[in-house]
Amino acid sequence: MSSAPLTSEGMPQTPGHIVSYPRFLVRALMLATDGSLLFYTWMIALTLIFLVGANAWANQVVDGMIVTNMTDHVSWGLYIANFTFMVGVAAGGVMMVIPAYLYRDKRMHDVVLLGEMLAIAAIVMCLLFVVVDMGRPDRSWHIIPIIGRFNFPISMLTWDVIVLNGYLLLNLHICGYLLYMRFLGRTPNPTWYMPFVFLSIAWAISIHTVTAFLYCGLGGRPLWNTALLAPRFLTSAFIAGPAFIIVSMFVLRSLRVPIGDGPIHTLVKIVRITVLINLLMLASEIFTEFYTGGAHTSSARYLYLGLHGANALVPWIWTAIVFNVIGAILFLHPASMRKRGLVITACVLVFVGCWIEKGMGLIVPGFIPSTLHEIVEYMPSLTEWKVTVGIWALGLMIYTIAIKIAAPIMMGNVSLLEHGRKGE
Amino acid sequence: MVEPSEPRRSISLPVLGSVSRRTAVKGIGATLGAAAFATAISPLRKLQGEISAEELMQRHYKELSPEDKAQVINRLENETKERFGADVTIDDPRPIPGTKFVYAINLSVCNGNGKCVEACHKENNHDRDTNQSYIRVLEMQKGTMDMEQANTTYDHTVPAEDKFYMPVQCQQCDEPPCTDACPVEATWKEDDGIVVVDYNWCIGCRYCEAACPYHARRFNWKKPNVPAAEINPDQGYLSNRIRPQGVVEKCHYCLHRTRKGRLPACLEACPTGARVFGNILDPESEIRWILENKRVYVLKEELGTKPSFFYYFDS
Amino acid sequence: MTHEQDQIHVQLGRAACAPLCLILGVALAGCDGAQPEAASASTVSQTSTNESVMLHPVTINRPAGPPVARVQTADAEVALACSTCHDVREPDFTNATTTDLDLFHVGLEFVHGDLSCLSCHNAEDYDALRLANGVSVPYPDVMTLCAQCHAPQARSYENGAHGGMTGHWDLTRGPRTRNNCIDCHDPHEPAFPRMQPTFKPRDRGLQPAQHHGEEANHG
Repeated sequence: MSSAPLTSEGMPQTPGHIVSYPRFLVRALMLATDGSLLFYTWMIALTLIFLVGANAWANQVVDGMIVTNMTDHVSWGLYIANFTFMVGVAAGGVMMVIPAYLYRDKRMHDVVLLGEMLAIAAIVMCLLFVVVDMGRPDRSWHIIPIIGRFNFPISMLTWDVIVLNGYLLLNLHICGYLLYMRFLGRTPNPTWYMPFVFLSIAWAISIHTVTAFLYCGLGGRPLWNTALLAPRFLTSAFIAGPAFIIVSMFVLRSLRVPIGDGPIHTLVKIVRITVLINLLMLASEIFTEFYTGGAHTSSARYLYLGLHGANALVPWIWTAIVFNVIGAILFLHPASMRKRGLVITACVLVFVGCWIEKGMGLIVPGFIPSTLHEIVEYMPSLTEWKVTVGIWALGLMIYTIAIKIAAPIMMGNVSLLEHGRKGE
Repeated sequence: MVEPSEPRRSISLPVLGSVSRRTAVKGIGATLGAAAFATAISPLRKLQGEISAEELMQRHYKELSPEDKAQVINRLENETKERFGADVTIDDPRPIPGTKFVYAINLSVCNGNGKCVEACHKENNHDRDTNQSYIRVLEMQKGTMDMEQANTTYDHTVPAEDKFYMPVQCQQCDEPPCTDACPVEATWKEDDGIVVVDYNWCIGCRYCEAACPYHARRFNWKKPNVPAAEINPDQGYLSNRIRPQGVVEKCHYCLHRTRKGRLPACLEACPTGARVFGNILDPESEIRWILENKRVYVLKEELGTKPSFFYYFDS
Repeated sequence: MTHEQDQIHVQLGRAACAPLCLILGVALAGCDGAQPEAASASTVSQTSTNESVMLHPVTINRPAGPPVARVQTADAEVALACSTCHDVREPDFTNATTTDLDLFHVGLEFVHGDLSCLSCHNAEDYDALRLANGVSVPYPDVMTLCAQCHAPQARSYENGAHGGMTGHWDLTRGPRTRNNCIDCHDPHEPAFPRMQPTFKPRDRGLQPAQHHGEEANHG
């Protein structure tokens, strides 16, 4: 650790890391578990939802995936749909990192942890969505390099394992280091985090690119087999991630966490662009599919118009399109810089829009019609909804706790010197 | 925290008191939470009898020594007896050197009666509830190769007017997208061209199922139901032994038969004689004659999967 | 690899007409490897080029002999050979359709090109068949008769690309049994019979195909 020179800067008898780091952790644990009645209600509600999900998952493991509505025709469903979407949300956090570090936006710099912590929560959710989608979670160790058999570099899924876990570690390190330094009352040493910040920017792109490659590398699935998939994934990631952060910033503001307009405005400006690029790419895809026609466009026809009387996904995708278009209009409206209600509405619309577009609007129709052109439709079962909502609850818990720990430390209310002093 | 009996510290008492009370409440909350979580996932306890420690720790097929393999097979035979009530023999035949298996189907002759589908179902101990089978027969519209105009659920006398029939099963591709997809090498192509699955290594992620362009892979959504009397006792480790829940399976060209020189079950069952099976490396084999003399095509050639499965027409 | 062997196989052919005797006519029992010439399928000589590997036989099903008519008399069932009647009856070359036939042959369905009975049945020896050139062919060799018209099928058959089989693909490991033409094709109505599929997929969510496919054809 290069902390030695820093200690001389008027920091009276700073204990070594061996003492201060456990103190940091204990303090973090206290911060994470102390709170208002609202906080406890929120956390207990999330816990209950999570428990429902955990129970549903346990039953799924015992009874088999037959309790889902997935079939050999539609072999991935709500879980992988959410996995894909959450990879995007995780990557979307980088849209705060880039202005903060690349463009040295000071105001963004103050709140950049929100994006990084969102990435942590989202990646944990991604990993859980993969685990609940596995038929044999008891064999998870098979995918761990060295002790299992890791089919690297051929299998794109192994790439995804690497990039997702790598991204998780990067963000854990960056957040942990910055918070710890704040806690110690020191200026963070750039050599200990700037390289990781820049790496995380590239890495954020990679997680969603690799996740897109999972699908677009499959020649037998024409709907996915498009070079535009990775760019589309990234674009919608850069809508959903910032949209979520904007809303959480407004929520934090209402909880009296001081967050200025600057970062919100920057994010709104970013989404204004990405939401348009996303629509442009969507239009390009739709044009290519429908102007070309032919057997390879069956999935697209099924998705947008219905095929041979099967049309379960049609309402979903048109909802997504309408939400994205209205969201785009709202974002482009000058009032989106001023009116809280308007921008929150816009954020919710595009967030939901992207969620549908990537999940029920992309993963599921990739299987319909099947590779032998049979049509088997899919709607998630109750078990799938329970497990999914459970993981979302856990993700929100992680995000809440992360903010709960970070906010007082970043605001300087909690530090090593004030250890033991009441924060509130 | 015992000492705050001193009166002058009474101001801080409530604070300390509240902290300790709070800590106690937190502790109770954490305990309750942990207990609730344990209860929520308690159904997992039912797995204790299902998945043995040996199974949990079992290595990949390619890492098993002959003794390990014998032990595993012995365990599997016992489990089959225990759970399904059938005495079975599980063998592990290896590829015959100098053999590469190839299948061909004469679509001029196939009439879509589906006996191959049924033979596969029985031979391979498939789940009875779903009529599972590695073969699907497409009823195709004459004059087009467009599978979108086909269906597999036809249930009328065959052959129907203006139709032809195309059975599809694993094409044992030379460039299999499924084995590339597998993150744990639980599926691979063997020397005789058969793509196999280690049912005891598969994690059930179903990426291979998404990758396969031929709908050749099946997932065990539940424990297969096969009455003891109907269980085919002649089993192979990499082929027709009863599959565990939660893993992927696929056609293996009946390797427990074909690696012992026998014909696949689907071929023997075909009443029309549409199916031909053999070793493509043998220049005198029937299959070679077909490839050289018939107008042969492969399914979805444009995908570059290089199937070891051919279709042809007589004239 | 010899020419004789090839010759044998070319002559294995498609039945054109077979037993005109009804009630339980053709006995299609396999001959259990009893016919060496048929058993020596092409594979045998071909795979054993390098060294004399012991090869298992390929057995082709053959009818045991001429068909018989079974007649119930007062005390027993009597099997009658075709010649029992036809030796004393003059062949009627003017018979054009099966409706012209009587006795055992009443009700015979016949859909096999423009053939007449005596295209395949031997008017000089009703217990045998005849080729187009008049050469007599015993019933067990009915495939030779079929082959004279159905050369493409015979060629495919000879090369293992026509007709069902059971047993071993690898003759070094075990024998194989192959169907005869008349196992699958009724000589009088050789079109392969229509069948009712009995085993259909029951995948979850897979709907019967009333919309899919059917509609595409009719609409």
